[in-house]
Amino acid sequence: MTLGRPAARFSRRATLTGYSWSGLIYIVPALLFFVVFVIYPIIVSVQTSFYDYDGLTLATPVGLDNYINVFTDDDLRAALAHSLVLLVFYAALPVCIGLLLAGAMSRIRIYGLTLFRALLFLPQILSSVVVAVAWRGLLASDGPVNGVLNAVGLGALSTTWLGNFDTALPSIGVIGTWVEYGLCMVLFLAGIVTIDRSLYEAARLDGAGPVREFFSITLPALRPQISIALILTITFALRNFDLIWNTTRGGPGTSTTVPSLFVYQDAFQNRALGQASALAVVLTVVILLVVVIVQLLLRERGEAKIRTPRKERTR
Amino acid sequence: MTTRHRTSFTARKSTFVIGAVIAGLTLAGCSAPGSSTGGDAADQTDIDAVVTAADVAKLGDITLKMWADQAEEPLMKEVVPAFEAEYPNVTVDITYKSFDDLIATVVNAAASASPPDVFQGNIGYAVDGALVEAGLVRSLDDVSDVYGWSTGTGASTLGPAMWSDDASTFGSGTLYGMSPISEVQGIYYNTEKLDELGLDAPTTIDELAEDLPIALAAGEQPIMLGNSDQYAGTHIFSDIAASEQDPASIAEWIGGAEGATFETDGNAEAASIMADWADKGYFGDGYDGLGNQDAISRFADGDGVFFVGGSWNGASLTSEDFGMSSLVSGGVGATASPWHISSKSENSVAAIAWLDMLHSPEVGQQILDTGRLPVITDGVTATDPLQEQTLTVLKDTIAAGTQVGYYDWSTTDMLTTMGGALQEVMAGRITPEEFTATVQATWADTHDTP
Repeated sequence: MTLGRPAARFSRRATLTGYSWSGLIYIVPALLFFVVFVIYPIIVSVQTSFYDYDGLTLATPVGLDNYINVFTDDDLRAALAHSLVLLVFYAALPVCIGLLLAGAMSRIRIYGLTLFRALLFLPQILSSVVVAVAWRGLLASDGPVNGVLNAVGLGALSTTWLGNFDTALPSIGVIGTWVEYGLCMVLFLAGIVTIDRSLYEAARLDGAGPVREFFSITLPALRPQISIALILTITFALRNFDLIWNTTRGGPGTSTTVPSLFVYQDAFQNRALGQASALAVVLTVVILLVVVIVQLLLRERGEAKIRTPRKERTR
Repeated sequence: MTTRHRTSFTARKSTFVIGAVIAGLTLAGCSAPGSSTGGDAADQTDIDAVVTAADVAKLGDITLKMWADQAEEPLMKEVVPAFEAEYPNVTVDITYKSFDDLIATVVNAAASASPPDVFQGNIGYAVDGALVEAGLVRSLDDVSDVYGWSTGTGASTLGPAMWSDDASTFGSGTLYGMSPISEVQGIYYNTEKLDELGLDAPTTIDELAEDLPIALAAGEQPIMLGNSDQYAGTHIFSDIAASEQDPASIAEWIGGAEGATFETDGNAEAASIMADWADKGYFGDGYDGLGNQDAISRFADGDGVFFVGGSWNGASLTSEDFGMSSLVSGGVGATASPWHISSKSENSVAAIAWLDMLHSPEVGQQILDTGRLPVITDGVTATDPLQEQTLTVLKDTIAAGTQVGYYDWSTTDMLTTMGGALQEVMAGRITPEEFTATVQATWADTHDTP
């Protein structure tokens, strides 16, 4: 009898106050992993960015010098400009192509749709080194791209795409578009499936053509997917390193340098860990800012649209 | 309602926990990174006589831990059993790393609490300079004296492993490493095409320059070049630059000698010759879009008459179809990554015995047999004509003393700066003077201490 009360009190406490703690136990392993391998390195990077540090001897604090260098270095500013160009190729174009493909695939019944979807998604799965090596071959002076140009009488346009100062950056951009559009397409296809078919029927009864359907129903309904696609592709564009390292190393000259290239060089070649950390921190903040802006731009009007299918379902 | 309340309560608490963890970690990491205590090179016990098997036996049963470049593995398979047979109490345990991986991690490994006893670094400031500056490698002056490394055929190859006391310049000073493997540049030629064109193998840059228009007129690509990695062009540039000025002055500049400059007439002239050759099509189209490895395969497949390259390219070429001639006027070239002994090693006697074995004619022969070039060229014999020619090129070049090392030794970012700027000057986007000024500015960032 006497045991009854404390037990009851214990169980009541467990539900009211102890709940959150016992819940925490479940996430401790993951949290520990996250803290040790993500949070702690971030803190160390931020700390290192205020020092002049070669990774061996005692670091000397330099205040904001590393950050001042980041914002005053001409080479870095040029690299940032290259990144902005790449944004068009890595984010804007893949989203547009993805929308186009998803719109077409959802309207037209295609035999072997799964196969096509898988094939178009393939670039996203391939290792970036493989992608880089393959495209180096495709874009070489005697590669298939120039071969096709010569065959159709456009031989005057053929060039060494990755070795020409004017075409190297757009060429790398095209590789990025090729890698990213499959991801966008799959995201959008998944989004289209959730759109209520009756909306299309209603639109068709009202006399809407395929183009009107796309802009009035498909595009607004895909707002959340577009937002995710943009976040993923913009992040990929701004921190892109492996594709460039394996195709041009920033050359010819400095025509394809990007900020992450300098992070690598400062950290692993120049042993200037403070400078590299400062640049990495700035890059992270820039990416976060751009992502927040994209989310804000796409969210507000998006919520009104999402509500429509939800009402449909409750009815 | 209750659900929402509970969620926010949990969220607040876990935010607090995460916050506390972060704060704790921040406080823990608040001291400046790095340590002021490196190895202490002053402690080392110098040797005054050749290390004998009896000296090594005194250490008892030991394991000699090593880190080496993956490329050394075929050679190590020959050397390690011989070493373990001669010093039976020693077990050799080698960790192989790819070259990129090795140079990115070996300095930190050497600085760790349990560093390998023996390891390969890389010449220049990024790796060897950091090792010497932090006192992580043992001085080898005593070893060199006892074993007579500073006399004999390999003597001139030791320079790049010698550093000033503060690790600010290299090329002379205290010896900290030794490489048993040489690298030499020369002109590879396609024997059949040279015969068709009625040309002799060129042995100077001037002779090469005379042959190039003849090859071009015959519809051949005169020089096969793959410069997308940005370094192959600088090697050809170095050959021209060394024929335009005293190679010793280039070596001094690379070593970081005070007051040295890249803005010389010779370098500007060499850059304008590179631009001229590129403009005339001697390097073909699209050399900036071709990787160096791809260029070698194309040359091996019969594209191009000449390939200006080094002994490290020879493995792809057959001796029936290709030959190599010396460029005694000089250019890049030196040794492969030097071997170092950790200043913290308790088995330095055994480590010295290891370096001695690497520096022997027997291992020299094994180096040649495994497709590389030894620094000890006396008493080694080549097995095929191209190997023989390459060995001759090495002997000629070392005798001439015109190897300058590599430009990217000069500063850690030189490869990028110089490689990129050379691409621009070859494309006619900047003038030769702008090229030399850009390169010198990068050099001055590192070497001109205010």
